[in-house]
Formats: sequence, C-alpha cells, structure tokens
Amino acid sequence: MSALHEQQIPASGAAGLAGVAARDAAGGRRVRRFSADLSAVGEPALWAFGGALALGIILIAGFLAMIAWNGFSTFWPKPIERVELTSGEVLAGVATRGGPYRPGESTLAQLDDETRAAIAANDGFASRTLYQTANFDLYGDDFRWVSDFEVADITRPEDFFYIERQQWGVFIGRIVSLVVDGEQVEITPDRLSREQRAARQRFTEIRGLERGDIGGINHLIERERLAIRRAEIRLGEDSPEAQAAIAEAQARIAELQAEFQTLQQRVNAIRAEDRTTRITFAEVNGQQVETELSQVVRFFPANALSLPDKIGIYLSRWWEFVSAEPREANTQGGVLPAIFGTVAMTLLMVVFVAPFGVITALYLREYAKQGRVTSIVRISVNNLAGVPSIVYGVFGLGFFAYAMGGTIDQLFYPEALPNPTFGKGGILWASLTLALLTVPVVIVASEEALQAVPRSMREGSLACGASKWQTIRYIVLPKALPGIMTGMILAMARGAGEVAPLMLVGVVKLAPALPVDGFAPFIHLDRSFMHLGFHIFDVGFQSRNSEAGKPMVFVTTVLLLALIITMNATAIYVRNRLKRKYASGEF
Amino acid sequence: MAVTETLPRNDGIAPTTYHVKAGGQGAALDIRDFNLWYGETQALFENSLEIQKGMVTAMIGPSGCGKSTLLRSLNRMNDLVDGLRISGQIMVDDFDIYGRGVDVIALRKRMGMVFQKPNPFAMSIYDNVTYPLRVDGVTKKSILDDTVERALRSAALWDEAKDRLKESALGMSGGQQQRLCIARAVASDPEVLLMDEPCSALDPIATAKIENLISDLRGQYTIVIVTHSMSQAARVSDNTAFMYLGRIIEYGATETIFTNPKVARTNDYVTGRFG
Repeated sequence: MSALHEQQIPASGAAGLAGVAARDAAGGRRVRRFSADLSAVGEPALWAFGGALALGIILIAGFLAMIAWNGFSTFWPKPIERVELTSGEVLAGVATRGGPYRPGESTLAQLDDETRAAIAANDGFASRTLYQTANFDLYGDDFRWVSDFEVADITRPEDFFYIERQQWGVFIGRIVSLVVDGEQVEITPDRLSREQRAARQRFTEIRGLERGDIGGINHLIERERLAIRRAEIRLGEDSPEAQAAIAEAQARIAELQAEFQTLQQRVNAIRAEDRTTRITFAEVNGQQVETELSQVVRFFPANALSLPDKIGIYLSRWWEFVSAEPREANTQGGVLPAIFGTVAMTLLMVVFVAPFGVITALYLREYAKQGRVTSIVRISVNNLAGVPSIVYGVFGLGFFAYAMGGTIDQLFYPEALPNPTFGKGGILWASLTLALLTVPVVIVASEEALQAVPRSMREGSLACGASKWQTIRYIVLPKALPGIMTGMILAMARGAGEVAPLMLVGVVKLAPALPVDGFAPFIHLDRSFMHLGFHIFDVGFQSRNSEAGKPMVFVTTVLLLALIITMNATAIYVRNRLKRKYASGEF
Repeated sequence: MAVTETLPRNDGIAPTTYHVKAGGQGAALDIRDFNLWYGETQALFENSLEIQKGMVTAMIGPSGCGKSTLLRSLNRMNDLVDGLRISGQIMVDDFDIYGRGVDVIALRKRMGMVFQKPNPFAMSIYDNVTYPLRVDGVTKKSILDDTVERALRSAALWDEAKDRLKESALGMSGGQQQRLCIARAVASDPEVLLMDEPCSALDPIATAKIENLISDLRGQYTIVIVTHSMSQAARVSDNTAFMYLGRIIEYGATETIFTNPKVARTNDYVTGRFG
C-alpha cells in the first residue's frame, strides 16, 4: 500500500475522491481514501489550532490553580521558627517563602572561605528564606530575609505564640503575664482563652456603641444641623419661621447631645474596665510589650497545635475574612464591606443595564426601519464595547458625578454645600458608569436573541389578532429571554471584575459606612463603597507593607473569582430554567 | 416583467373563468382586480375571485404561482413585508380590507389562520387555545374554559388533550400540534379559516385527520386552503382555483376543474403534465 499504489488508481480511471478497492486476502474489499497533497490536508492546521487551544487552557488552569493554592493556603497556621544566626543574633518568625539569590560582593567578602567556595561552586547562588518576624512596633519591619549560610541553629519552641492584634499587626513571642481586673493571675491555656473571649466581647460592645448608637446620634445631630441650614436658606436667615425652626432643631440637638454624653460615659466605663485586663508579651530577645487583652484578636501556640486546632484556626480566619471589617490598612481582618460593595454595585448595574439594553434592542430590531441609520447606530453600539474602560470612568466622573450630581446637590441638598452629597463618586454613579460600559454587550446579545425568534411564532400570534406589542410581550420576549439572559451574564461578568473606572467614580480604600444601613432612607446611593477588585489593587500594591498584603491579594482574588462565578452560575441556572420552559418545539 | 413577456395577455390565460358551484350562499370574500407587488416584482396580477360562504375553496398551482401570497393577503399577513404595494380590493361584508381606517387586528380576528408548519406557542395547551381571547382581554375563567373545550372539540383534539391541558403544547406530536393550531384559529370564532398548506409537514395519518377535520368544519366556517396536493384539493374542497404565475387561470367547482377544465393549462396541471 505504497504511495505509488495509491497514485496508480486515479490513472486507471477512478478519479476524484472515490475510494479504491483493493482485494484483501480474506476476501471482500477494503475501502481506502486517497491521500491528498499536503496543502489540501487539514490535519496539520487542526493539530496546530488544537495544540494552541490546549496550551491556552493549560495556562489558564495553571494560573487559577496557582491563585487557588496561594489563596487557600494563606490562612493555614504555620510553625514559628527560632533562628540563631552565626553572628549571634536571634530572631523568631514564620518562614513564608525562599529561593536562590546572588549575594553581593560585600556580603561575600565577609564570609569564610568554605562558604564562599560552596557559593562559587553553585554559580554564585546562595539560598535564603523570608521570615515574617512581625513585631512591627518594636523593629519597624515585618519581614526579614535570612540567608542559609547565616543560620547557626533553627528550633521550634512550643511556648512561642502567634498573636494577631487589633493594632500593630502580628506579634510573635511568649506570653509573660496576664493581669485580670488589676490582679496578676496564673496563665493557663483555658483561663487565657476565656479571658480573651470576654475581652473581645467588651471590645465588640465598645465598637457597637461607638459605631451604632453614637454613630446614630451623630447622624441625627448632623441631620438637625442640616435642617437649620436648610431653614436658613429656604426661609431667610432672619425670618421668624426660620428662627422658630432653628430653635426647635437646636433643642433637639441639645437633647441628642445629652444622650450622646450618657452613651459616651458608658463607653468610657467599659473602656476603663477593659484597661484593667492586660497581657504582656516578650519577643525572642526579651523585649516586652504590654497591651489590653481586648487588643488580641487571635492567638495560638504555632508549634504546639494539633490538626483539629489548625483546622479550627483556619476556619476561624476564613470566617473573619468574609464576615469582618478590615484592619491594619486592609492587610488584616476581613473584607465584608468590599464583598457587600461588589455585590450591591453589580446588582444595581444589572438593574440599570437590563431595561435599558433590552428596550434599545427591541426598538432597533422590532420597530426601527432597517436601513442606513439603524446600521450606523448598530456599528456605534458595537464600537462602544471597545472603548477603554478608564474612559468610561472619566466620563462617569465628569457627567454623572460632577454634572448630574452637582445639579442634584444644588437642587435638593443645598444645605450640605460645599460638601457634596451626590456631586462626588458614589455607588449610584459607579453602577451607572458600569451600566454604560456593559450596555453594548446586552444590546448585541438581545438583538441576536430577538432575531432568532422564528417568524412563524410572530405570524401565529399576529394571525390570532394580537397587536405587535402583544406579540412582542407574550411571544417574542419570552422566547428571546434566555438569549437576553446570556447577554446579562456577560455584562455582569465584565462589570463585576472591572476596577479602573470605579477608581474614579466612587470606590475607596476604606468606606466609613456601607451603602445600606439603619438610618432613613436606608439605602444611601450617594455613598462611596469598597470593591474587591480595588481591594486587591490597594492591598497588593498600595499598602505600606506589600509583603504583608501579598497573601491577602491571593485570598481576595479567590474570593472575587468565587463571587463572580457564583453570580454567573446563578444567572446561568435561571437562564437554563427559562430555556427548558420555552424549549423549542420546532422540528 | 418576465411574466408578461412569456405570457402575453391574449394567449388565453389572462381571462378568468367563473364556474361557481351551485349552492353557494354568496361571497364571504370578494377579491376584485387584486394586484400585489413585492418591491418592484409583481406577484399577483388582477386576481378576481368570489369565495363562497360556508364552503371549502382550494387554491392549487405550481410553486411560486402566488397562491400563498393571495391567501396571506386575505388577513393582511403580507403587511409584515417591506415594500409591499397593492391595488384592487378585497371585500368582506361590503368593506375593503385594504381600505382606509380598517382595523387590521379586528380583521385578523375574523380570519383564523393555520400555517404550513405547526407553530404552537411555548405555552400550555390551554394557554395556546385561549391566546386569541386573552389578547382581547378576556380573563373570565368560565368563558376561557368553555372556549377551550369548544375549540378543541372542533379540532378533534379534545379527547387526546383534555387530561393534559396544562402541559406544554410543544410536547405534542406534529399532527396534534397542527390540530391545536386549528383549535387556536377557531377559538376566537372567526368567519373564515385560512389554511396555508396545513398538511405539508405532516405524515399521511395526521394528514387524513386534518382532512376529516376540514370536512367536519365545512359549513361552520368558510375555509380557504392552499395545497400542493391535487388529490387533497379534490378530496376536501367544493371549489378550486387554479393559479399560475400570479394569475387565477380557472376557478370553478372542484369536479369541473379536475374532470372537465375549460382551460388547457388547467388540464395539463391537474393531469400532471406540468407543475
């Protein structure tokens, strides 16, 4: 069955792509296809494209796996190592990462001959480890590189604790003494955790009073102050009505201030009580630090943990991450406000983009006369999808925040001026900006979905005496809904992950309050908010200590991905249900 | 344009021959000198036809002869086409359906239509049948229930469908779907039923059922049926119009058209010599 054999067959008359029949020893005929010229064969291209696809998928999968590994391993408690250096220095820390590096000339000059020879034999590379030494309040640094050749001895003392504090970050060291209600007590693990829980409860109580009750009073006082200002503007500063309103408001302010005083006293009382329960730590070189026990968020003897202990710590860290507010310039604590901001902003965006996009598509596809103008509009819409997102951010800031928001402020909130209410970035303007950014996707997808509704369906409905609108409403839209939902999903995926424009129109590093709270009108669309995407940027690249923020970058990325996947999966589930409901009966 | 060249007006094709079957109760639809253009292309040439009340009128002719176009002109379904122009009249009860101020929606309610392919909506059987009423704003359940039973009985579908009214219409067989479409068309109690090749997508058994149904509906409704199948036209219709290249060549009682046509071309077509 050589090439020669195959070439003989066309010569004998069986031209074209027809099979060649060769007598088989077993009888019957084997049908073979002619091999064609290489340029006519698709297989090499097939292999190239398939290989490229496989490579792309492997890269993406690897990237996701890397993020997932880093993200999920961050919260796992790691051992504390006590490291003695050859210079006699001692440090304690958690090994975070390591690798080869090339020591400088001056470093090499100080080494003994043996070490230098070993490094030279290794092409000039030595290896080193990055230790999280923590204790920022004592050393002004959280991390330290230690070269392997510096190390004299490494031990893992069981009495070293990893202590996460409310302020100043992590402390690594021993617990020296515990003072409860002003009296020194014996330190037992049981007692310690019991006292710490009680202290944390006090801390939460103080925070609740300050944020909730006192915050509420401040809010009301601010409202009264604005009411005074409003009365002055609306009624004239000296008019008797204004004077009456002002007097009334001032009376209320006095009342509120009295309330404020009582609350403040309560807070002070708890604080004073809190101050009597104190803990003292000592770091590896003996320096001591004393603090209120309530400042300790979490502590554990990193080298004396059993597996269930570790799992417990791991889970409690995750729980804190998704349920608490950030601390330490966002590098510690949780991201609840950012989760909330991301979800709220995305949903608000969907609320804006869905009707706008669908109605536009309906007009373009069902009502507009198809011609030059509609194709120009269509091309323009498609081009909008290609505009860099930061441009939308600039537009949103200029048009929504400054122009529209500024006008709203002048009309409805003149009393607060010059402080802007809507005339600055906020969740409303951010959602509108993102809606603008994603509306082309929805329009294009909706148009395609509408176009795909079979003509016979429309005709059937019209022949029943339905009007055009009734046909669209009862027949066309339900049938097109899954396709429209696909557009919405794409828009959501794009919108939730977008960061650049948000930085201009309302995302902040740390939002003082959520856009939804207990004060009327409960939903505050003018407020700035936090966003997971921006959080990643901020923690990873804008914080004072990027090394400390690095694990948080991965964890936040995992969370953002999970959030987007969850939102999309929900939308896809809804869409598939719709699809089943309106499954095509065409055959 | 090509049409007029190959078919000069005096080759015996243009004049329409009337042989209306006796017993007609007068015209339900009176088509008078009806011309129709899609953009620059003329599709119908001076069609004149009286469709008799309560009878089944079949339209036959080779593909592209304009029989579907004429049918769809009767309930103004062609309005959806861009660049449509017409001249002439189609009279229903002394008003021209293309006249000024005609309510197309009201017109379509008087003309039920069944399409080539079954096109039930993606709703339950019940909702499909009641759709014409619901778009009219009828919400009273007793009326809707009565209509469903009446319409499904008219379409000979009641026994098969009565236990699954709330199920999706898309789960039915093709023949059932087409009968459901007939039920939907008669639900609003129209005067005329327009059928555009209603059996072309169905198997022989389903076709037979639809044909029986048409016979049953004769008398209740004026039925206009477009069909490719000459045997079907012969079986179900009282009158038959033969169309060719946008013209009505011959119109008369079905027996006459099939056994003793006046025009040679009709004879050629019904005997299968061309078409």
